Amino acid sequence: MGGFVFRRVLYSLIVVLCVLFIVSLLVRIIPGDPVDVMMAGNPGMTEQDKEQIRQQLGLKDPVLVQFEKYIVGVVHGDLGSSLRFRTPNLGLISTRLPATLELTLFSMLIAVIIAVPLGIITALKQDSAVDYGGSVFALIGISTPNFLLGIILILVFAVEFKVFPASGQADPLYVAIGKAVTGQGLGSLGDSLRHLVLPSVALGMAVAAANVRMIRSSMLDVIRTDYIRFAKAKGLPGRVVFAKHAFRNALIPTVTVLGLQLGQLLGGTFVIETVFAWPGIGRLAVQAIFWRDYPLIQAVVLVTAIMFVTINLLVDIIYHWIDPRIRYD
Amino acid sequence: MDSLQVTNSAGDSASAGVARPKKRASLSRDYFAELRGSKKGMTGALILAFMVLVAITAPVIAPHDASSQSVYAQYAPPLFAGGTMDHILGADNLGRDILSRTIYGTQISLSIAFIVIFIAVSVGAVLGAIAGYVGGIVDTVIMRIADFQLSFPFILLALVFMAILGPGYWSLVIALTVAIWANYARLVRGEALKIRELEFVQAAKAIGVSRARIIWGHILPNALPALIVLGTLDIAWVIITEAALSFLGLGIQPPTPSWGVMLNDARGYLYESAWMTIFPGIALFMTCIGVNLLGDWLRDTFDPKMAKL
Repeated sequence: MGGFVFRRVLYSLIVVLCVLFIVSLLVRIIPGDPVDVMMAGNPGMTEQDKEQIRQQLGLKDPVLVQFEKYIVGVVHGDLGSSLRFRTPNLGLISTRLPATLELTLFSMLIAVIIAVPLGIITALKQDSAVDYGGSVFALIGISTPNFLLGIILILVFAVEFKVFPASGQADPLYVAIGKAVTGQGLGSLGDSLRHLVLPSVALGMAVAAANVRMIRSSMLDVIRTDYIRFAKAKGLPGRVVFAKHAFRNALIPTVTVLGLQLGQLLGGTFVIETVFAWPGIGRLAVQAIFWRDYPLIQAVVLVTAIMFVTINLLVDIIYHWIDPRIRYD
Repeated sequence: MDSLQVTNSAGDSASAGVARPKKRASLSRDYFAELRGSKKGMTGALILAFMVLVAITAPVIAPHDASSQSVYAQYAPPLFAGGTMDHILGADNLGRDILSRTIYGTQISLSIAFIVIFIAVSVGAVLGAIAGYVGGIVDTVIMRIADFQLSFPFILLALVFMAILGPGYWSLVIALTVAIWANYARLVRGEALKIRELEFVQAAKAIGVSRARIIWGHILPNALPALIVLGTLDIAWVIITEAALSFLGLGIQPPTPSWGVMLNDARGYLYESAWMTIFPGIALFMTCIGVNLLGDWLRDTFDPKMAKL
């Protein structure tokens, strides 16, 4: 176990290093110089001034030297500074990261809340109208791009019926919960949740749909096994057979892919945050691309890669712990 | 040795000339009969065929030029909401015909999807087959690159590529191809590992058939069903991601009428001109439904192992 974890962590570190290297390399070959972008609004700048700024920013150094400097910085918690905001990237990202995490986790919650009952019911009532409806739901969920769903939700629930706000975030969830716990009223929490509903549904629906299919088919597999037939044959009430034997085993395949889906949701935030003007790092990344703010792009990519790799790492370690037969060689 | 190879390949092509086409024809007839028997598969195939037809005949069937603007038609509502026959599905903020733009959008979406899938499947399959069959350092290098890519969200990868290459049609093709080739490489490699120890491959090797020929003649054909299934289902992913990137402003650039671009244009007019959103949205949604229905059917038919997922 120890050796496995060690190797796995080492491998993750290598992946992160590769991401860093490739991104910093690619950023160098982008046409359009960051200094030109930075100084676009200053017609008084001479070429000499720009040259001086390039020197100061270290843009004149060889790629490997720049990379080395960058790595040393990263290890010391310095992710460079944004060209646009003129502030450290780490600060920019850490103020926006909670919003992204909140959105991702809440979407996962919604995906699970929708998928588990629907997956189970469609399996238990196989070939019924409910089953058919569930399959149609799954098909539609998988086929609807998250940003399109987001727009439709805005159109219906914000524009037409005005039940949920169309965009933005209220108090961050942890702040709102803090307020609720310390007796400052539930208003803030309610407002936060209301803002969270539409983006989370838009983001989580595809995952929910995929999970409905998966839970349904694994439930069907389990129902047909000998031990379920035996449990029924020995006279256990259907409820007990379901709760003690079928349900838990049927969820295993889904639980094992939840980690991967978390990564998928994290990727989806880039689009959804833009649709809903959600102040997370996904939107920041998209804006940074428009601004040609390369240090910021690099920092966001690095942070996302670290999160993604960490999720994968945890998933692998948990698998290994649940089922020691799984080996990664 | 050389002569043996020649006779062998001659025999091979002779037998191919006689036996294979007949078998293929009956096989494809079987599948077609099965497709017709499946409501799901047939619906998907019909939707997709319709979209392809629309894309091909776009210049003929589109009532207007996709980017010609008209001050008089600005915000013209669709026919059912009190509009005129001139703009059946209404017009956008610049007076461009929504129907025509949606029709031309089909060209963009489908062409990108087919090109990306074609390149990604070809590159991925060949690299995967080489990795699996040749093994050793080649395998390690190719699969490490694939692993590296798979340990990364696709969309982020595509985003980074778009940032670097700059927005545009071919940058989009490159970015999306780079984002998914590894899937196919993995799939074919797995197949290659299984097949390379089988007797017929060993026999082919023993009589001196070249590596390239074994990969081309034995390994790739065996991986084909799984490739077709995965490739078809990925068409939906490519279409959605193209639309998403274009929607963000990082893909196809206005005024080119990609569905994503149209949806982005429509965002500011959700309140007043919802039709600007609705029609490209429906086109995008229906295409994905068609692809997924067909893909599901293919999976159930070709690859029962995957059917559960």
